[in-house]
This record gives sequence, structure tokens and C-alpha cells, in this order.
Amino acid sequence: MDPAFIRNYCIIAHIDHGKSTLADRMLEITGTVSAREMQEQLLDSMDLERERGITIKAQAVRMGYSHPGGSTYELNLIDTPGHVDFSYEVSRSLAACEGAVLVVDATQGIQAQTLANVYLAIEHDLTIIPVVNKIDLPAAEPERVIAELGTAFGYTPDEVLLVSAKNGTGVAELLEAIVERIPAPEAHRDRPLRALVFDSKYDSYKGVLAYVRVADGIVRGTERIRMMATDTQTDVLEVGVFKPAMVRVPSLEAGEVGYVATGLKSVGEVRVGDTITTARNGSSEPLPGYGGQKPMVFAGLYPAEGTEFHDLREALERLQMNDASLVYEPENSQALGPGFRCGFLGLLHMEIVQERLEREYDMDLVVTAPSVGYRVLMNDGTVRDISRPTDLPEGGTYDAIEEPWLDVTILTPSRFVGAMMELVNSRRGTFKRTEYLEAASAKPASGEGMPSSDPRVVLDVALPMAEVIVDFYDQVKTRSRGYASLDYSFGGYQVAPLVRLDILVNSVPVDELSLIMHRDRAQSQGRALVDQLRRLIPRHLFDVPIQAAIGSRVIARETIKALRKNVLAKCYGGDITRKRKLLEKQAEGKKRMKRIGSVEVPQEAFLAVLRMGKS
Amino acid sequence: MRPLGAGGRAHAVRPYNAGRPWPRRSYNGVVSTPLALYVHIPFCETKCPYCDFNTYAAIEPLMPAYVGALTHEIAAWGAWLGRPPLASVFFGGGTPSYLPAPHLAKLTEAIRAAFEWPDAIETTAEANPGDCTPEQLRAMRAAGFDRLSVGVQSFDDGELRLLGRRHSASDARAAVRGARAAGFANLSIDLMLGLPGQPLDAWARSIDEAAALDVDHVSVYALTLEGGTPMEADVARGTLPEPDADLAADMYLLAQERLGAAGFEQYEISNWAKPDMQSRHNLAYWEGRPYLGVGPGAHSHLLGDALGPHGVRFANLRSPRTYIERVSAWEPAGVVSASALASAGAVETADALSEATAAGETMMMGLRLNEGVSDAAFRDRFGAGIAERFPGPVAECLSLRLLEWSGGRLRLTEPGRLLGNEAFGRFVAAASEASSGAGRA
Repeated sequence: MDPAFIRNYCIIAHIDHGKSTLADRMLEITGTVSAREMQEQLLDSMDLERERGITIKAQAVRMGYSHPGGSTYELNLIDTPGHVDFSYEVSRSLAACEGAVLVVDATQGIQAQTLANVYLAIEHDLTIIPVVNKIDLPAAEPERVIAELGTAFGYTPDEVLLVSAKNGTGVAELLEAIVERIPAPEAHRDRPLRALVFDSKYDSYKGVLAYVRVADGIVRGTERIRMMATDTQTDVLEVGVFKPAMVRVPSLEAGEVGYVATGLKSVGEVRVGDTITTARNGSSEPLPGYGGQKPMVFAGLYPAEGTEFHDLREALERLQMNDASLVYEPENSQALGPGFRCGFLGLLHMEIVQERLEREYDMDLVVTAPSVGYRVLMNDGTVRDISRPTDLPEGGTYDAIEEPWLDVTILTPSRFVGAMMELVNSRRGTFKRTEYLEAASAKPASGEGMPSSDPRVVLDVALPMAEVIVDFYDQVKTRSRGYASLDYSFGGYQVAPLVRLDILVNSVPVDELSLIMHRDRAQSQGRALVDQLRRLIPRHLFDVPIQAAIGSRVIARETIKALRKNVLAKCYGGDITRKRKLLEKQAEGKKRMKRIGSVEVPQEAFLAVLRMGKS
Repeated sequence: MRPLGAGGRAHAVRPYNAGRPWPRRSYNGVVSTPLALYVHIPFCETKCPYCDFNTYAAIEPLMPAYVGALTHEIAAWGAWLGRPPLASVFFGGGTPSYLPAPHLAKLTEAIRAAFEWPDAIETTAEANPGDCTPEQLRAMRAAGFDRLSVGVQSFDDGELRLLGRRHSASDARAAVRGARAAGFANLSIDLMLGLPGQPLDAWARSIDEAAALDVDHVSVYALTLEGGTPMEADVARGTLPEPDADLAADMYLLAQERLGAAGFEQYEISNWAKPDMQSRHNLAYWEGRPYLGVGPGAHSHLLGDALGPHGVRFANLRSPRTYIERVSAWEPAGVVSASALASAGAVETADALSEATAAGETMMMGLRLNEGVSDAAFRDRFGAGIAERFPGPVAECLSLRLLEWSGGRLRLTEPGRLLGNEAFGRFVAAASEASSGAGRA
């Protein structure tokens, strides 16, 4: 197809603002999928995606579109994840497009995430078509949202399209606008092949599928190709497009989007961001890729009762085939046994991995409270990344510890600004900037306490990541009665007075209960931990001291007094069996406990502590 | 009628010889030694809020049919087992004293007809102080009871109300006096410690009064909050304070001290007796001798060559109504065997004990006695000494000072007495592992 008749675009939308429904309508109107075949949210093929209304894996679908002007166009819709944790995936989808449809819910207005993704799109030089969706709803306030789009991004009201993805209103006009406003890809078919891998996925029949946007040249289904970054060569099994089912085509040409079935067995060999070229007479200059992405949130995943360690390992391996951002390494906990220390892009990523393991792989998991990675500046000038407290080097061997910070954008109705600032302050945050998203509304207040009577404010703040990963999102929602939204991006590392808090049970340190935390928090946190353990560890035949310590300095202590009485009083009417079974059950419970030195600690005690602070 | 002794002790009490094997004699292949007979009386005037026993209030209309069914069960067992001799008889409940005297007499007559009932054996009825009128007490003596176990629980009226008891402290005192006057030579009372909100000094008053009372035997039970009882619910809701386990331990030590000073000798974790006045019936449970229980929810353990080396344990179903139906239609026939027992009368569950389970239970029950478990007797029965059979538990309990050896017997230490479960649990767990291991092999 002549590049002039190709349009590559994506849809940017906040969760629930109707991105998937809009995509469905486009597929229907272009006849790509008949109404009969239509299954709601077709692009979100994972159950989890459909249920949560979010997109986790990027998708790409090709549609044939007849423009009223008479020409037929090839539209490539590249679906993008909507959540902040996946902004990396967003940016790689954006790199494959020339334009973006920005969808904003007519009842809710712009959300913090929308802001972030639009800025990303602007950075990628994409042409943006602003769309107000859900205009069919009674609560819709399209004028107000148009005004917001004006204040936030400078769009004029006549640039904004009004759509109801649900009943199809305005979708035809939107397709026209896509053809008219979004530029055709710049494509050089005569140059050596360069195709950007914007995603990859493992297929058990065809090996790793590279989702590509061909920038230059042509890739044929019989080509021998080379991955430029990994220098891996392979014979292409086939090339094709998604309609949205995989359809084999003879070749993909510059400007087009599709897949290359590589036959390779590991996603690691087909790195997202890499450039594919031909093995012979290939290009020597890769396309600009993206920097590697480092996990930001860490947690332990352990098999719970009924799940085997090697099954968990296998499940993680299989998940990682499709999710290169998931990292893990085996870890052995004295309390929870063998498991994995896993790194995630963010909390939602962590939750999704957990849910996929539970649902798709039928795993029963114990997940510890999330923590962040720290950087230790050693005396010798080297820098050490650590993701678990016990890896913190001996005191005196390092100069400082740095913790990761996040730049956080909170979008809130102005009446919750005070509550938001209070929350930010209580989490060691710093304030950067406030901006009113709309001038004082010209429209009369539509009712007391209604959001439309209240201008919305963008709060730019910075927070230590450790303070955000616990329950910050829930707090933002709670304190704004659900109105505020939140987005964040990594904001670098900062030195902080961090200490490692150790917990000792009967003088034996318990590694997995150690925590790195701000010095000012250690006292109260230590006390809370010690108190929790005192209540959860059963009494023994001897006194059991529980201590919280920083180095050799004990900052909190409780003692579980020795058990004095444990005897069944009565043997009633010869029911010896019942008594025996009771004792057997007690012994069984004891056997399941973990031994810390000579102390038996129930797993629940570990879990309660490891989950402390996790909402 | 069985002749009654005239005043004083009704019969010469057989010296306490716990642990010494009974002369072995086979009756019908299923009763190796005289049986301890337990008769369950499930009636109570009111149900106490802490009680999870198989007892019921407001089913008095069932009494005649129940006594009929129970009489039938007694007769049927006696006939089926070949009229074996009895070692003791114990009417428990429920409230046996609440059953009108003619019913009680009918039941003892049935027992005498169905079993060989030697004159000198202990025959106990549990009694509620409120039922102990002179007439009822005389009638109970006449029916053949010579030992009364009076459910005093406390000498504090406030505590009695908390426990939902329908008697007062003065009723309890009167009951003890009345029982002596009616000719009960062997009297026992029950007390409870560790009640919600009970202070140590209140317990001291109760135990002192018990120690000073003219009784032969005292049982002291720590309150256990059983799941599903109203009292447990009250504690869970916070309307009653949670009993303090450490305070209960102090109360127990106080009971040991005061009862000891008054001439009571502790012979089991919860039981004290004047010399030679231990409960014969309860010793059967602790020493692993056979017993037969009749009535709904009653448990039995029969030993005999036909029932495997460690006998069969079985229990009746719990509902009095269903019990009446099932047992009335029961006509035992054929040879007594483990499988026949499983479908006998109102039996609901029956298990032949494995050697490992029997060994574990021998320790669990025998260690409750102050004298502990005889290594020689254990070896006779199980072919190996205790430390050989249970090397881990014995070594651990000795090092934790829960147990000690004394004169060829393994027994709880003095501090270990309050921590009995810590020792018992180790034995039954080891036994359970051994038996499940054997099951897999």
C-alpha cells in the first residue's frame, strides 16, 4: 500500500473513559469485524484486561477504511496501556504512530494520567485529535471538558470532536478526521529494512512474535533477519497483520504495522525497542530505541499451601516470555520457604502479575509488602543497587543511601487541595507547582458540591517512592472522595537519612522482617512491629524477647512471658478420641510454624508483619 | 434389691491400686476385665451458658420414653456381652439427680439384671445441689448409689449466677450435709476456677470452704470456653472479660496448697482425694481399662481378644430423640466383633485402635495421674519401654522438665502439671505420625 494511504495512530484515554469501546466501534464501522463477531472490548483479549477495563499488552489492528472522498485507507490502530505503570509501554506504542486520538470522558474531564500520556505523545511529535466521549450520558458536560482541553493543551473548541462510542455517534467523523489530520508515515521503501519492535509476545506455534512498525524497506515472510541490538539472526517464519486475528501477508512495507514471526524461543532475544533489519545488505544504523526499563517496586512472591515452588518458577518463566518488564530471582525465606524476589514497574504491575499467576496458573501465593530499590554510595566511590534490606552493607562502608523519588501529578477539584497537601506533607513530600486547569467557570454552578462548581487543580509534587507505593493512591482517592486522580514518573534519587531496622526474636535476627526506612520513622514503626509480633507469637515454655534494633541499638522491646498453663481440665465421659484429636491438631499447628532459633513462629505472624502497611 | 450398709461407709473401699493389671479373664471374648459402666442422663432443668456437653433443657416429656430406651440398651448390651461383671457404675449428664427417683431405680434394676454387679463397687451419681432434697437423696441411696458427685462449682453466689447455676452456695452446703445424713459415705464436689472476672481472693474463699467441708473427694476444673457456648460468645463480644490464663494458674497452685493442707491428696491433674477415696470410675479412663457407655453421645472402649489387640472405641449418636428410636429397635444378635459394634444399637462411630494410637493415648491419659505411667506395664502391653517407643518426646519432655522418672514410672513434674498438654501433645503427635506412616507403608 502506498504510504500516503496509511495512517498509524493510537488512542490515549484514562481507564474507563471508553477507549476500548471506541476501538470496537471503529472495527465495526470499518467492517473489520462484523457486528455478529463483535465481542465487547475485542482488543483486550486477556480476561483480566476485559474485567478491569484496562489494557496491559499493546495490541495492533489493521482496518481497511473507505473515506467519503473515495480513497481506501489502511488504518493501523495501536492500542496502548492506560495505566501509569505501563507508561514505558505507552511510549513504545507512541513511537510506532504518527497520531493519537485523545479520549476524555464527558462526565469526568481530564485525569492526571491523561495529562501524562498527552505530554508523552507531544514529545513524540504526534498529531493529536481531541475527542470528548460519552456525550450520550445525562451527566455529560462536553462544554466544560472542551474548556479543560483548551486550558490544558490549547485546543480550540472546533478542533474537538464529540463522540459517543457506545451508540456510535461521531465515530464516522472521527475516522474521517484521522485520515485528514494525521499525517501519512514517512516511508522509504528503497532503503535497507529498518523495523522498530514496539512489543513482543510468545506464541507457542510461531515463537516470539515481534510487533513491528516498518520504518524503511520491506520485510518479507521468507527473509533472514537480524536483531540489531542482540545481533541475533533468524529466518522469518511469516509476517502478518492483526485484523484483529493474525492474518499472514506476503510482506510488510515501510509505513506499515504488523508482526514478524521470528521462530525464536525467548522474548529476551527480541528486545522491545530493538531494530530489525535484513541479515544481508541490512542497515547499519538502528532506529532510536528506548532506554531499558528498571523495576521500581519489589516484593517477595512465595507459594502458599497447595502451590509448589517449581510450579511458581515455571509460571513466572512463562509470564516473563510476554512481559519483559517482570524480573525475578529465587530467594529463600526462613518463614515462607523458597520463593522469588520480584521486581515490577509499579504497584499495578505487581497486582496484575499476582492476579495472572493466581488465575491463569492457578497459583496460591503469599505476597510480601512492596518495597523500593535503594542506591548505596560506597566509600570507594562505587554505587550499589540493593532491593532488600539485608543486602545493605555494613555501617561505615558507605557514605550515604539514596532512595528513589517520584514526580507526582495530582489532579483534584480545588476543594481537596488542602487534604492533598496534608497527605503529601505527611509522606515527606515536597510541593512544586499548582495550576488551575480552567479559569473560574463561566458556567453557573450546577449544584452544591458538584464537581462542576469547583475548578480543578493540577498539583505537581515530589515524593519518596517508598511513601507512594504503600497506600498513597488509596489515600488520594479516599481523601478526595474519589475525585482526584494521580500520575507519576520517576524523578531520580535523593540521599536520605535511611536506616535498617532489624527485628530480633529471642535475640535471633529475622532477615525477612528487616526494613529500610527513614530514621524518623524507625521508632514508631519498630514499636508497632514488636507489638504486632508479641500478639501473634504464641507463648513458649520460656520468656521470648522481641526487639527492634538499628545496628546494635535496641529501640523497642516486648517480652512474651513464658506459658504457665496449658492443660485440658476434664476428660468427659470417656471421649478420649476428641481429646487426642485436639492435641494432634495443636501439634499439627506447631509443626507448620517456622522456627527462629528455639522459638516457633506461626506463618501468620510473618504475614501480618510483611503485609503491614499494605492496604 | 442390693443390701445397703447401715450408716457410715456403705462398703469397704478397695485399696487404690491404679495401674496394677486386673486379673485377666475373658468374657465372651470381648470383655477382658470388669467394665466401668457409664450411664448418660441428658436432662437438665436449665442449660448452663458454659456447657457444651450433650445435655438438654426442656425435653422432660421425653423422660419416660428415654428411660425405657436406656433400659432396653442396658439389657441388650448385658445380654450381647454375656452378662459381664462391672467394676464401677457412673451416672453422669446432664443431671442424674434431676431424674425422678423411680426412673433411677428402674435403671439400676436393669443394670443389676443385665450385668454381674458386685456389691463392693463404686456407684456414683452426679447431682445438682438444688435437687438434693432429703427424699431424693434417700431414694438415690435406695436405688443403689453409694457415691455422690455434687456440682458445687463455687461458694460465691455471684459466680454461681454468672455460671447460670440454679443453686446457691447455701444449697451446696445443705446438699453435702444432706448426702451424709442420707448415708452417702463417699462424697465428691466439683469446683471451677478461672471464671471471667473472678479474682484470686474469691477463688481462695471457695477453695478454703471446699477444703474445710466434710467431703472425700474434690475435682477442680479450669473453665474452658467452648466454641458455640453463650459464655464464649459473651467473651468474644466483650460483654464478659476474657479469663486470664496466668491468674488461673495462680488459682490452681492455691488449690494444690489449700487442699493438700486439708489432707486431700492430688492423684490427677484435676482431682484430689482423701486416702483411698479416688474415683474408681474415672481411673478406668486414665488407666486404659475398658468401659461401656450407654445413652446418647456416650463413649465406650471395649477390650478383648475378639476385638484386636487394642480394642474398639465407639460412640453413640448424640440426639436423644434419634437415640430412643434407634436403640428401641435394636435386638443384638450374632457374635460381638469390631464390625458388629460399628452398627450396634445407637452407635454412630467406631474405631479399632492401632497400636500407635493406643500407645499415644496410654501416655496422654496415664500422664494425667500423679503417679504417671509404669514403664513395666507399658512394656508388657506394647513390647517396648516408653523411652524406646517415644524417644523424641521423652527426651524433649525430660529436658524441658515437663516429665521425670520416678521409681520406674514416667510422670509429670510439679511445674509440668499445669503444662500437661505440652507433654501429651508430643506423644500423640509422635504416635499419629507413626500410625499414618504405618498406614502409608
